[in-house]
Amino acid sequence: LDETEVSEAALVRDVLYACQGIDGRYVRYDKGSDTYDLPDAVREPRSTRTLVRKLCEVGWLFRKVRGFISDNVSRLPSDAATEVGTVAQAFCSALQEELSDYYKLLAVLESYSLNPIPTPGSDSGVSSNYLSLRRLVVWLAEPAVRMRLMAVLVDGCRGLRGGGMAGAIHGHAQHGDPMVQDFMGRLLRRVCSPLFEMVRSWVLEGELEDVFGEFFIVGQPVKAESLWREGYLIQSDMLPTFISPVLAQRILRTGKSINFLRVCCDDNGWAEAATEAAAYVGTTTSRGGLGYGQIDALEALVVEAAKRIDQRLMDVIHKRYRFKDHCLAIKRYLLLGQGDFVQYLMDVVGPELSEPANRISSFHLAGLLETAIRASDAQYDDRDILDRIKVKMMDHGDGDRGWDVFSLEYDARVPLDTVFTASVMKMYLKIFNFLWKLKRVDHSLTGVWKTMKPNCIVSSPFYKEGTSIRSQFVSVLRKCQVLFNEMNHFVTNFQYYIMFEVLEISWARFSEEMDAAKDLDDLLMGHDKYLTSIVEKSLLGERSLGILRNLFALFDIILQFRSHADRWFERIYELQLRGKGKSKTKSKETGSWLDGGRKAMIQLAGELFRKMGEDLDSIAKDYTASLDSFISQLPLQQHVDLKFLLFRLDFTEYYSRVSSSK
Amino acid sequence: EAKVSAAVQTPGSKSFSLDSFSRGAGGGAGSVIGSYAVSVQELLVIDDLLSALVGIEGRYISIKRVRGKDGYVVFQIDSSMDLALQELTRRIFPLCEDFVLVSQFVESRSHFKNGLVNHALAAALRAFLLDYQAMVAQLEHQFRLGRLSVQGLWFFCQRMMSSLNALAVLIEKAMSNNTSGSATLNLLQSQAKAMAGDSAVRSLLEKMAECASAAYLRMLERWVYEGVIDDPYGEFFIAENKSLQKESLTQDYDAKYWQQRYSLKDGIPSFLNNVAATILTTGKYLNVMRECGHNVQVSLSENSKLMSFSSNHQYLECIKSAYDFASGELLTLMKDKYDLIGKLRSLKRYLLLDQGDFLVHFMDIAREELTKKPEDISVEKLQSLVDIALRSTAAASDPSHEDLTCCVERSSLLKKLTTLKDLGCAYSSDKFAAADVDHPMTLSMTGLETFSLGYKIPWPLSLVISRKALTKYQLIFRLLFHCKHVSRQLCQAWQIQQGFRSVKILGTPILRSSILCRSMLKFVNSLLHYLTFEVLEPNWHSMHDSLQKAKSIDEVIQIHDFFLQKCLKECLLLLPELLVKVEKLKSLCLQYATSIQLLIPSIEVAAPEKKPKSGLSKSSRIKRSQERDQQLKLASENVVMSESILKFEAEFNSELQSLIPTLSKSSQAEPYLTHLAQCILGVGIDQ
Repeated sequence: LDETEVSEAALVRDVLYACQGIDGRYVRYDKGSDTYDLPDAVREPRSTRTLVRKLCEVGWLFRKVRGFISDNVSRLPSDAATEVGTVAQAFCSALQEELSDYYKLLAVLESYSLNPIPTPGSDSGVSSNYLSLRRLVVWLAEPAVRMRLMAVLVDGCRGLRGGGMAGAIHGHAQHGDPMVQDFMGRLLRRVCSPLFEMVRSWVLEGELEDVFGEFFIVGQPVKAESLWREGYLIQSDMLPTFISPVLAQRILRTGKSINFLRVCCDDNGWAEAATEAAAYVGTTTSRGGLGYGQIDALEALVVEAAKRIDQRLMDVIHKRYRFKDHCLAIKRYLLLGQGDFVQYLMDVVGPELSEPANRISSFHLAGLLETAIRASDAQYDDRDILDRIKVKMMDHGDGDRGWDVFSLEYDARVPLDTVFTASVMKMYLKIFNFLWKLKRVDHSLTGVWKTMKPNCIVSSPFYKEGTSIRSQFVSVLRKCQVLFNEMNHFVTNFQYYIMFEVLEISWARFSEEMDAAKDLDDLLMGHDKYLTSIVEKSLLGERSLGILRNLFALFDIILQFRSHADRWFERIYELQLRGKGKSKTKSKETGSWLDGGRKAMIQLAGELFRKMGEDLDSIAKDYTASLDSFISQLPLQQHVDLKFLLFRLDFTEYYSRVSSSK
Repeated sequence: EAKVSAAVQTPGSKSFSLDSFSRGAGGGAGSVIGSYAVSVQELLVIDDLLSALVGIEGRYISIKRVRGKDGYVVFQIDSSMDLALQELTRRIFPLCEDFVLVSQFVESRSHFKNGLVNHALAAALRAFLLDYQAMVAQLEHQFRLGRLSVQGLWFFCQRMMSSLNALAVLIEKAMSNNTSGSATLNLLQSQAKAMAGDSAVRSLLEKMAECASAAYLRMLERWVYEGVIDDPYGEFFIAENKSLQKESLTQDYDAKYWQQRYSLKDGIPSFLNNVAATILTTGKYLNVMRECGHNVQVSLSENSKLMSFSSNHQYLECIKSAYDFASGELLTLMKDKYDLIGKLRSLKRYLLLDQGDFLVHFMDIAREELTKKPEDISVEKLQSLVDIALRSTAAASDPSHEDLTCCVERSSLLKKLTTLKDLGCAYSSDKFAAADVDHPMTLSMTGLETFSLGYKIPWPLSLVISRKALTKYQLIFRLLFHCKHVSRQLCQAWQIQQGFRSVKILGTPILRSSILCRSMLKFVNSLLHYLTFEVLEPNWHSMHDSLQKAKSIDEVIQIHDFFLQKCLKECLLLLPELLVKVEKLKSLCLQYATSIQLLIPSIEVAAPEKKPKSGLSKSSRIKRSQERDQQLKLASENVVMSESILKFEAEFNSELQSLIPTLSKSSQAEPYLTHLAQCILGVGIDQ
């Protein structure tokens, strides 16, 4: 027989082999052109050749699909199994199932191909189920479409894993052909079931059942306090496109809440909440209860679970860990909301803090703090809260006074340290230091008043003296009073602003948000907002550095004024004592030395008053300059509403008049 | 039949095998078909034809690509063949060419990027081609049994030929226009209509259209029942403009949110052309509800589901019912949950001066602030005054009083009106120039002229009460507020003049002044009466009534806009000519009131301070009154006062008189002006 002669029956058989990726006798896989083809040696008419080539396309596609499956499946038992992942496994098994349908068809065709191709004359007894190449075209038309689709998917999924793979497959499901839709739906239900299972167990049990790292949520080993913020992350490349980012975020939070409850709060009530949610939604909580195409069901499950678990979490945080009480405590002690306590503390630790920083014992200060607590209304507060207030000495350098390093601290403990992290506490510290300084300035101004007032009364002896010294005294005293009043006006109003317009308003907003918060993220956000609003409004923010420097300069001038005032009144007091002594002796005996003494005293006093007047003038000058620049900078702080502060500071429009007249 | 048998008989005893021929042909490549006997030629050509029918070249039939036309091919036959056979074969070629065209179309349109409609159409065509290929396989079977001749082939192909040809025509059009989405659907429909004569083809094309529209239907269903645009390939006829935010409704005067957030695209399927607007609004309503966080579940009964676009127009019913459901639901949501009517009433209460005590109280406490220049007024302070006024009057019981804000504008009412171009009024530039004549007056403008209330409108209600609508409310408010102010000022002037009642004033300028004051008061009060009782109240009530009957939110918006426009018009705000005159009159009244308030107290001060002592004797009282009389006589001879009063009187009367012709002229076109004329001038305008 001539080698080039090939019967159609033989070709049909070969094509059937080729369709299973097997080289037949004539039809072989040609590596060069990457196709199944008849070798040139076989002489066949053009039409047959074309037909064979067309039919063998299915074989070529099949090869591709099977290659992908074997690439993935064969690795399963080995160590490399970790590479494949459950989604890919599901994908492969779904493909395998499709292929087994295909094998069934091929088996049927194979049996048909055994029937002889009829020829004229063999009219009778011809089975109609014979196969010619043309008949094969009809038989293979539909499997070819399916195979092509599979090959496209296989190409599209190469190199992808987990959620990314599911997303890629989902991307191919947007097709108008009903058959393709059917096929893709079937496939996706299989492919996504592991993913949905992961979501389910994450949302209801907080477990990451993700051996191969395919889930779009990854856990990281972190300390309990940063579990909420950094413990779990969304991996965007593993997020399938059919799950919206919002839903993904919600899924993340739900599982995170469960883990947070379990790890940080040591709470088991979430399990009930989860079962309740599952029961409410009505989906079976068992495995495989959810599938692709039921995004609505998934969403409903997630929403319900999230609602209940977040509710649970909020309950635990609020009721068991008394979040609000702690926030309030921080506000009262760290943000100086408890007036009597602060006043007393300032009184007791004041003298101590004037010492150089390295000579102060923090133990002693802790004792003083305790005294302050006991002496004030704070003593009726919860012991648990009071125990958490600590004295903290910051690092000190040379020449630092106690004032510079003293601060209070609040020990938040697990799980509240999720909210009150180290950086948050640092912010509180910053605010505390600022408020403490303000309070100190206020306190020292009160001190000035205290020394000034009795002196005014006692210093009446001066009135008996000559008019010149009297008028000198009156004018100095008046200057002092005026300056004091000016400073006092500023400090009082600034303090009013901080206390009522910053702290209280921020707190009112925060407590509203706290009550409205549905989950921990809301709570964290609310707290962040609270803290930043305080920082911004009390001019501690980045954008108000300039004005803050000015403010501190003002504070320094006031403190300077205080120390000067102390010194002056000390001296005046001394003079008075001397004057008193003299007036006593004067009545008994008169002598020239007395007159001389009086003269000396008057001279001394005159000098003192002159010196005092000069000092006062220079302080007043500094103060006015600082205040001017502070007030002129106020309107520049566009990011905070300082209108009312400005209005209060300058309610008689005195400063604006002064500045405009200049 | 005879021919077929004849063809079979011809080879005679020779065992017939196709292979033998092919072998022969394959062996001798040079051998031409013409060298065979005609009967053999026929067998060979049938084999080739069977290949050609599925678009494959045979030994004697070859395919040539048509230059420049992608996808078009021509079949050619070996010219040495028997001529009759050639003719017969050529007749079948169109079928082959059509097949190639269609199958290429199927291949190319199955690609993902071509859109769902094309996919579905391709799938339907593929199913058709599968039928066709099965037919070819059947013919081959006949051929193998030796029962097929070319003539027989021709006969068997007849049925397919017309169908495939019709499809080919369709595809040719589709390919040349590169249609997708609704354009494809339109093409299918029009093609089916064009082929109406051939019932078989027509039903085939209709079936194709139905298959292709199935995918489209799903999109439509999601939009109509869920308000979701699920359109991966941009085929749907509704486009979403995500850049338009709903917040713009409350901020932007020209907000386009409602009109342009969702809009119709060009390619609307022709069968949906009539209902496209309904479909659009249905989804829009659903979207509004979703934005409110209101979850709507359309209860889908089986027969209300969109099944097909077949000619029984069931889908129109479905769309109608979906529309009714969505609009009804949204309307109840707006009316019940968001209390639309309540909000409108509250707007009327504050912005249309329905609530008297609030306004009076506010004007009392805010007078000082409002008499400043607009740029000096502290809005915060005014806001706190508004709050005080709200809390200390009956308004406190109104739950929505917290939403009231206030604002101070910089331009006068007339100027503001000229800047709003779309009100449909006749403020041309020369009119604007005329208004500008009063420029000195605008310089001395106070907060009283520019103050207006605002209102915070929450989201779904801002659809109805948009920034634009609110601005219209504010325009009316400013007019009313100013009238009220003028009236109060005149009242004060009147009060001051009451001090002269005990005195003989006959013949003094005070008497004239009293009369002038009365007529001014009458003018302002009747103007106010007209504005409130003749315009605002009846219009509001008719709006309220029609709102009760409204069926959809669009209707509500329309009714509300109509109400506002009507009010604006009847409040003279759209009639610049009249408004300028009225403003002039008002400013005259104001000037008069101010000067009276300045002049008369100066008289009182000039009078010697004489406190009435208890037990005053009659003679002393008479004396005192005489003194006072004397004083007044002196005062009334005050040249400044008498002159200015005379001047005011003359001006006021002439202005008022000049109003008459204007009113009577315009009232032909605008009948409501008759009311105004009757109110202001007290008589019919026929005099």
